[in-house]
Amino acid sequence: MSLLAFNLPIVALLPFAGAALAAWASKINRVASAWTAAAITILALAFLAPSMHLPFQGETLVQSWAWMPAIGLDFAFRLDGLALLFALLILVIGLLIIIYARYYLSNKDSMGRFYAYMMMFMGSMLGIVLSENLIQLVVFWELTSLSSFLLISYWQHRKDARHGARMALAITGAGGLALLGGVLILGNIVGSYNLTDVLAAGDMIRAHELYVPILVLILLGVFTKSAQFPFHFWLPHAMAAPTPVSAYLHSATMVKAGIFLLARFFPALSGTPEWMWLVGGAGLITFMIGAYTALFKHDLKGLLAYSTISHLGLITLLFGFGTQLAAVAALFHIINHATFKASLFMVAGIIDHETGSRDMRKLSGLMKYMPHTAILAMVAAAAMAGVPLLNGFLSKEMFFEQAVFAAETNAWAWLLPVLVTIAAIFSVAYSLRFIHDVFFGGEPKDLPKTPHEPPRFMKIPVDLLVVICLAVGIIPMFTVAPILAVAAAGTLQGVPPEYSLSIWHGFNLPLMMSILALILGVGVYFIRHKLFAIHAKLFERLDARVVYHAILNNTLAFALKITRGFDKGSLQNAAVWIIGASVIAGAIGFMSSSASLFGSREMLPVDPVTLVAAVALMIATVMTVVWHAQRLVSLITLGVIGLVIALGFVKFSAPDLALTQLSVEIVTIVLLLLALYFLPQKTPKEIGRFRIGRDAVIALLSGIGATLLTLAVLTRDFAPISEYFLENSVPGGGGTNVVNVILVDFRGIDTLGEIVVLALAGLGIYAMLQGMKLPAPNKDIYGRFWDTDNHPVIMQTLTRLLLPLMLLVAVFIFLRGHNLPGGGFIAGLIAAVAIIVQYLSNGIAWTGERLKTDMHWVIGFGLLIGTGTGIVSMMIGFPFLTSSFTYITWPVVGKFEVASAIAFDIGVFLVVVGATVLSLVQLGRLSNASHAPHQNSIPAKKQEAK
Amino acid sequence: MNFVIPDFTPAVPEMVLLALASFILIADTFWSERYKYATYYATQASLVIVGLLILFSFTSETAVTFNESFVRDAFADVLKLFIILVSIGVFLFSKEYLQNHDFYKGEFFTLGLFAILGMFVMVSAYNFITLFVGLEIMSLAMYAMIAMQRDSAKATEAAMKYFVLGALATGLLLYGLSMIYGATGTLTIPEVKAVIEAGKANSTVLAFGVVFIVIGLGFKLGAVPFHMWVPDVYDGAPTAVTLFIAAAPKIAAFAIVYRLLVDGMPGLVVDWQQLLIIMAILSMVIGTVIALAQTNFKRLLAYSGIAHIGFLLLGFIAATPEGYSAAMFYVLVYAITSVAAFGMILALGRKGMEFDQIKDFAGLNKRNPWLAAMMLIIMFSMAGVPPFIGFYAKLVVLEEVIAAGFTWLAIIGVVTAIAGAFYYLRVIKVMYFDAPEQDTPLPASTRELSVGVSVYSLSLLVLGIMPAWLMAVAYNSLLM
Repeated sequence: MSLLAFNLPIVALLPFAGAALAAWASKINRVASAWTAAAITILALAFLAPSMHLPFQGETLVQSWAWMPAIGLDFAFRLDGLALLFALLILVIGLLIIIYARYYLSNKDSMGRFYAYMMMFMGSMLGIVLSENLIQLVVFWELTSLSSFLLISYWQHRKDARHGARMALAITGAGGLALLGGVLILGNIVGSYNLTDVLAAGDMIRAHELYVPILVLILLGVFTKSAQFPFHFWLPHAMAAPTPVSAYLHSATMVKAGIFLLARFFPALSGTPEWMWLVGGAGLITFMIGAYTALFKHDLKGLLAYSTISHLGLITLLFGFGTQLAAVAALFHIINHATFKASLFMVAGIIDHETGSRDMRKLSGLMKYMPHTAILAMVAAAAMAGVPLLNGFLSKEMFFEQAVFAAETNAWAWLLPVLVTIAAIFSVAYSLRFIHDVFFGGEPKDLPKTPHEPPRFMKIPVDLLVVICLAVGIIPMFTVAPILAVAAAGTLQGVPPEYSLSIWHGFNLPLMMSILALILGVGVYFIRHKLFAIHAKLFERLDARVVYHAILNNTLAFALKITRGFDKGSLQNAAVWIIGASVIAGAIGFMSSSASLFGSREMLPVDPVTLVAAVALMIATVMTVVWHAQRLVSLITLGVIGLVIALGFVKFSAPDLALTQLSVEIVTIVLLLLALYFLPQKTPKEIGRFRIGRDAVIALLSGIGATLLTLAVLTRDFAPISEYFLENSVPGGGGTNVVNVILVDFRGIDTLGEIVVLALAGLGIYAMLQGMKLPAPNKDIYGRFWDTDNHPVIMQTLTRLLLPLMLLVAVFIFLRGHNLPGGGFIAGLIAAVAIIVQYLSNGIAWTGERLKTDMHWVIGFGLLIGTGTGIVSMMIGFPFLTSSFTYITWPVVGKFEVASAIAFDIGVFLVVVGATVLSLVQLGRLSNASHAPHQNSIPAKKQEAK
Repeated sequence: MNFVIPDFTPAVPEMVLLALASFILIADTFWSERYKYATYYATQASLVIVGLLILFSFTSETAVTFNESFVRDAFADVLKLFIILVSIGVFLFSKEYLQNHDFYKGEFFTLGLFAILGMFVMVSAYNFITLFVGLEIMSLAMYAMIAMQRDSAKATEAAMKYFVLGALATGLLLYGLSMIYGATGTLTIPEVKAVIEAGKANSTVLAFGVVFIVIGLGFKLGAVPFHMWVPDVYDGAPTAVTLFIAAAPKIAAFAIVYRLLVDGMPGLVVDWQQLLIIMAILSMVIGTVIALAQTNFKRLLAYSGIAHIGFLLLGFIAATPEGYSAAMFYVLVYAITSVAAFGMILALGRKGMEFDQIKDFAGLNKRNPWLAAMMLIIMFSMAGVPPFIGFYAKLVVLEEVIAAGFTWLAIIGVVTAIAGAFYYLRVIKVMYFDAPEQDTPLPASTRELSVGVSVYSLSLLVLGIMPAWLMAVAYNSLLM
């Protein structure tokens, strides 16, 4: 397999391996990690080398593997002219910085960490420029944000470093997410995330209705990364990083990633008015603000930071013009800016390193102490200013030419050359300041160190870059021309237009602008002290960072406000939201539905009984709500509701349900009474009038909604499942009481499960409450003691009479269960109530003595019988719980049906009785235990009186 | 009347889990003091057994049993496996926490097992009643778990709120289900689908049924405006319980949303899509905005979780098989990330001192650089920054929702993701840049916790570097 099949991912991923290696190498000695990093960089270049010729032959190398096949994404790399240019910039300048940083970092700094971060960053940058897949590009894009965050915050002990790093990460990371959004939409309309397809679909993209959202989202990514207005403010704060980092990030890499993206998407997105206004506008503003502000920075790196912003603005503006020639000029300036700005940052680092200060108000006359460095600085600064015979001049001329050309397109566009010339004047002025303030003008004042030349290897990288500046500036055709041509071809995805790289174009308008800028720039420099004063008065406080903080603080305040509205921690509030939202959702559904709400069925006439029951129901409900503060009273009204519902079942011919409802209702109320006994008897009143009103409205609305919905269902024809059971009840189960047949026969196994649960619940309550003592109030709400006579005689006598009667009823209900309303479940409840009443009126001790049966056994027997009937049928060869029935004729009673299911029903009966009695009696014990202390507190004579 | 013995094989994992859970429940009362941790180990062993059982009997065939009320398909199996995977970590972390805070109780694990059983039933439900029973098994166990710390007023209040609101929401869900039943005359999910698609059901009643079902589901997911319980419960419950609630139940909730809306009512997509869009926007926006203002880390995670649910819903809104797969991928990633994040609170907490305020994290990098790095991974993954897995979760969901033509929704999603990045960054800033109150080293409370949290955190990175596997799992189990 040839190297050309897989070398690109190696180039991009090698630095990541290098990061780990460099971190590890620092354990050997400090310098080892530097050499490791350098070796890895050279190795990456070596891997890139075999494919370097391809772009020159007009070929694009694409290498791809399946990455996330589920969503059709490939892990794909691409090498064309543009990618090659950037890869070379990243690797070559990276190598120089690595050498430089080896001498820059002090003994206190961890080399391993520095080079590990550096290599991670390099790998991410290479990943961006070599990506063919857009999603993969975004991944690497965010990785540069992360690794640059680590690099900027390298000096963690410094507050400005931490602050700057955080701001850079917040802005660029957020921009990256916006870019992701843009790329996703772009990929969706093109139908592929591969650059090859996207770049070929330019016309389709520009014509698409989503073009503007795509453009805005992608530009958000670009502008945040490349520090374009209004996101330019993070870059100066990122200057807190060690100078090698600044030299790398802010000349050739990090900030150029945004520019790279502009170039990359140039064929796909450019050429529309939106592009021109957004890209060009942001570029122009950034260009001017940067150039102006740079002059007023007293910090060397501050000046360079704003000058970087300004030059990035220039490049952005060039892309904004949207013409092919402008794109070529932009590429040319990218190369030039990378070289002179990297060398200037390194010079600033040398000065900082050797003098201990970067403040231009302190530095001066360094020419004498470090002549070599001074000369390097002068050449590089001159290139930045656009002095002829240097590379900066050439690209600036091309830029002016484009500005003049663009001026002819619009009536107001003549302003453009004027504005760019003004910015150029400031560029000259700050470049001059960089040189003149630092290297000339008398002896330096109170510097922390005595200045001297740096170690040789700190200068060599700068030497090299400055030589490139000169070479490109003097003989462009023999130096930069080939790579520029191939990069232009890669950017434009086609043959680049005719352009001239010669130094002399004749005496034309762009040259005039250059000369004007140089002369006026010198002039501005000489009146700088007056300008400083004016600037200090007018603009000092005008810092975009203030806006950033204001936005942050306002957002936070807004968030707090929203939080107070939503996050009240109140249950009622939450319930209001849920019910309110349901009502609104229902209402919207009602209004938007085209079909009529009600069905076609005629409504039945209202008879007086139903009416009375309904009215009683309503009154009881309202009373429950009104009296809810008095808990015992509201419990009784709640009982009324249950009763009416039970009567409702009777009315609609479901006596079985009615009986069940009634029994369950009674048992629950008893349970609730027992529980409430231990709680305060009154709910404290804590609701305001507004809340009551609001709740009333919501209650009313949800009531109306529920009524309408019920009507909607009831007015439609509906086939209930009960038909099947009605038809099969007698032939299948031998009983006419369908409910009972379902319980013990059709759904026998369900019932078996249910009684197991009931048994377990009874046992569980018993076990949980065993030995538990709860302090209960011994007074009622009015401060009166509860009656100590727990077992009034009349009640005792009456209930003892009732016991046999109730048990008889239970047996009766049980026996007729299969055919008429009744059955084991209801009978069980009735029997249980009968027994409970005995406990209630006679006391647990008295009843316990007479009713010695242990309810545990009752439950156990019940379950055994229930399961046994199932197993018996299995033993005689039928599936589990198969039932059969026959009829016998008893004397007196007459014909009686015996179903095997009746045995099962006995099981149900026993479990219900056992579980109910067991748990209720145990609850009763709870209250007995709590009464004991109270009885002691009663005066003795009262006891005697009783 | 004869019984037809149903085919039990598809439900074997559930039955085994039930048997084991019941066994542990009883055994726990005998083990208590002498073999205090037997319950814990038995619980983990049960999960492993059930997990292996599912894994080795995995087929891509769909099996339906119990009168079409229970289904076992690839979708169910994958989700169950992930529920187990997540829960094993949850129990591991919880055991350490309960031990450290002196309220180790066997009930925690048995209740947890029953909750997992409930989730299994939810995942495999093919009938409204099965689904509802599963939901209640899970919910009741969770109410009890929250209230387990009986002497904590905060926990009791949280349990109370959750119970009352949960009952309300369950009521609404039941109301909705009964309306669908009224309109279609069937409770079985595929039959509901068939009746609706044949146009035989009454559209008005159906539409209302959908409204109430979506409200009930929204509550279970914790989507705005039915999210009120989330922050209070997350904050009020003992952190071990919060960890439990925040992870696996989301997977189960995802499953019932899928079963009800996608399996059962694809014919009503227009109706539920509208509701989900509103819920998704509200969740993303309000979740994000409120999270910005939080100072309590558990509440921060609660609100950020709400925002994540908004993203999850985007996958459903896309209403394509790929969209549902994306949502599934999202929920799996979210569950794993939650375990890591809450595990971190457990790892750094001490008896009598919960590590749950954002300011507690101040200077963590100085006190415990390794765990700070793990936290960095968790926060970046939640923020959706590559190369962590959270990025791909956002990526697929956004991609599918754009592919379905809801570009504007995707843009809202992106904007909230950007705003959301700020509060995750704040945690990182606090950890790395703020001065700690004490400079003393802060090791994880136990080694198990340190290792466990690291495994879950690093998996976010490893999965992020190789996302294809998890993605293939999510996509294939739905598209197979």
